Amino acid sequence: MSNIGSIFGIGSNASKEERKQAFIQTIQQQHNLEHARMLIQSINENCYEKCVPKPGSSLARAEDDCVKNCAMKYMAAWNVVSQSLVGRIKEGGL
Amino acid sequence: MSAAGFDAAQAAMADFNENDRKELQQFLENEEQKAKFQQNVHNLTAMCWTKCIAANKISGPTPDSAEQTCLQNCVNRFLDTQKSVITLLEQSQR
Repeated sequence: MSNIGSIFGIGSNASKEERKQAFIQTIQQQHNLEHARMLIQSINENCYEKCVPKPGSSLARAEDDCVKNCAMKYMAAWNVVSQSLVGRIKEGGL
Repeated sequence: MSAAGFDAAQAAMADFNENDRKELQQFLENEEQKAKFQQNVHNLTAMCWTKCIAANKISGPTPDSAEQTCLQNCVNRFLDTQKSVITLLEQSQR
């Protein structure tokens, strides 16, 4: 039991409420981390493809600027897709 | 969240009393739903990025209005397609 508790950062003398909050926070952190990991991977792949068609000996200024715009644009696109999906779910059109 | 993370969470719940377990179980189910939704958005964004934006010049940090419309259509037509495929398969089962 102490092993599993320690995964979640729960000390044996923590109160019930503290243990509950630690549990909830740990799950949410894992969830956020996984979300960030997927977003970074998608941005990296798609914006590398888009902005660095012929890799040179270093990342050129123009390429770096493109990557930054592309990353912002990808996240904006993520939000548009998310809103469209929410709209469709609310309509009951799935 | 990964399946392993979910299993560890289930195991850690053994430490709690029945009421708390119910509450945390509900929380976990909500988090799973959220994770599934986000996974869908990640997949759709990658696909719709390729269809709507990949061929265009990255001129700024936000999708222009034509790109936004394309992203919205992309999500909605994907879901229409999914519906159509499911209906077809249901009919062919009979």
